[in-house]
Amino acid sequence: MSWNFELAAGPFGSPIDGPVWDGEALLFTRQAFPANSVNNRILRFDPTNGQTTDFRRWTNQTIGLGFSKTGTLYGCQWAGRRLVRFNGDGTTSALSHKIGGLYHNKPKDLVVDSQERIWFCDPHGDLRTAIYPQISDKLNHASVLRLQTPDAFDSPIQRMTFDTDAPSGILLSRDEGTLYLAECSLEPDGPRELRAYPVLEDGTLGNYALLHSFGADAQGPHLGIAGMCLDSDGNVVACAGWNQSGPGPLVYVFSPAGRVLETHPTPEEATNCAFGDPDLTTLYLTTKSGNLYRALSTGHTGWTLYQSA
Amino acid sequence: MVSEAFSPEFQRIVPEDATFEKAATGFIFIEGPVWHHRDGYLIWVDIIGDTIWKWVPGPGKSIVMRPSAHANGTTFDHQGRLVVAGWSNRNVWRLELDGSVTTLASHYQGKKINTPNDIVVKSDGNIYFTDPSNGMHLVGHQGADLQKYLDFEGVFKLNPDDLSLTLLCDDMTFPNGLCFSPDESLMYVNDTTDHYIRVFDVGADGSLSNGRRFAELHGSAPGHPDGIKVDVEGTVYCTGPGGVWVFDPQGNHLGLMKTPEQCHNFTFGGDDLKSIFFACRTTVYRMRVNIPGLAVGPAR
Repeated sequence: MSWNFELAAGPFGSPIDGPVWDGEALLFTRQAFPANSVNNRILRFDPTNGQTTDFRRWTNQTIGLGFSKTGTLYGCQWAGRRLVRFNGDGTTSALSHKIGGLYHNKPKDLVVDSQERIWFCDPHGDLRTAIYPQISDKLNHASVLRLQTPDAFDSPIQRMTFDTDAPSGILLSRDEGTLYLAECSLEPDGPRELRAYPVLEDGTLGNYALLHSFGADAQGPHLGIAGMCLDSDGNVVACAGWNQSGPGPLVYVFSPAGRVLETHPTPEEATNCAFGDPDLTTLYLTTKSGNLYRALSTGHTGWTLYQSA
Repeated sequence: MVSEAFSPEFQRIVPEDATFEKAATGFIFIEGPVWHHRDGYLIWVDIIGDTIWKWVPGPGKSIVMRPSAHANGTTFDHQGRLVVAGWSNRNVWRLELDGSVTTLASHYQGKKINTPNDIVVKSDGNIYFTDPSNGMHLVGHQGADLQKYLDFEGVFKLNPDDLSLTLLCDDMTFPNGLCFSPDESLMYVNDTTDHYIRVFDVGADGSLSNGRRFAELHGSAPGHPDGIKVDVEGTVYCTGPGGVWVFDPQGNHLGLMKTPEQCHNFTFGGDDLKSIFFACRTTVYRMRVNIPGLAVGPAR
């Protein structure tokens, strides 16, 4: 079946990202420059009345959002180079943000597992976009990191991948036995892949299976996966591609083994996607230009740990 | 040459053979230097190193407080108590002479303030401080709350007796360093993001009015308007690209003191107040100059 993407809200004037369904409405983030601009916000789109309201302001370029199974909201504060917790009382807590004594890079996407550990993508990004002073250099790697205990400020952060260059999107399978990772390098020779890492008994990751690799043509590399989510059958629903090269911006539905089950053209280059609406059959799409799109009745039902809890 | 003159006047202020001497080194990111004139010592902070330091000529450096909740600007009141812009703690506090800490301000109209950055005490005892939000944005902020609540980054007056807080200015992008002119008829406030110094008339009630551009500081070298001070003649010294920029009271750019590392703040000090101590990332540098600065703290 074909999907029809319609504009749900926007344009918001700058990129939006990080969509998550909170049970009643869709939260998503808006990024603006400079990082201390009030236009860095978490917005909340309520499909029952079509209204978008502010959920949080002054979010310092927070990009990825994620709920724990108990409903705690965490965010990837890109410019602040840390994970944060958006507390119910309106405060925002910084989480542990050092690994081996060094500040990590710029977190982009996260997933919280059933033990409340936060797995997150930590690409290098451009440090100059942060508010001065930048006295801490980036790490010499861009990896998936895992924060052990989000309640403890000095909680250890563990490096989980040793073979990544540009981690962009992250998911855990329902049984938490597989970590899906999107590598989305903008370098011509960089990796643009969907990978499945087995989560081993001891909590570390095994060797990945390459589920999909994005190509290149005379116009340049095809843009890899910017963001992704899971459906209830365990498929990976991912937005990838751009107009510069390749097949254009698409939503892909990958089986757990990497077979491309479906592709659906999207109106423009997307940054991320998430299922929402009460039955979780609507796919919401955030875009670089700041438009929020949705495709109703996708024939898929979204799954997250939070929504299943 | 560690300085560059744009006017012959500059060499009357900064000797041609002036040099930068290391006073103390080994820090991560230092700020907030102030000289205790009566007792003759220097205080500064290592924001990222989370420590308040003291330096006494001869014995050298020692720790005053660690951790320090990432304290930023410091000054002394007329009783000699250290008054601190408590950046990551999002408050203004005072270190009492017995070593205890008193919080002087943390909320404005019921809302938590941002991240107090720099601070001065007027002759009447009132405390003036800037309240930008950069402490919340900075990598490494470790306070309990990163949420910004005020819709502006203000300049405040704090009455130390009744702890009332008066908003003096709410339309700067990133108010940072601030200081009074020698006669306290003017107040200078830096805007780090917009690269300029703003000057206000100070009213009899301590209010600020008629804010106007005093000077702009543009350049490709590292540095921006951060710390600002005046000397007894009213010459204005301000951090900027390449080091510390020196302006006459009319805003004419007289010259540049080229600091060995990026300088974020500085203070006049030494027994005759004719040394400048520069807080430059990892190191406190000292330079001798010809014109003394203003004394801070209790009278001798």
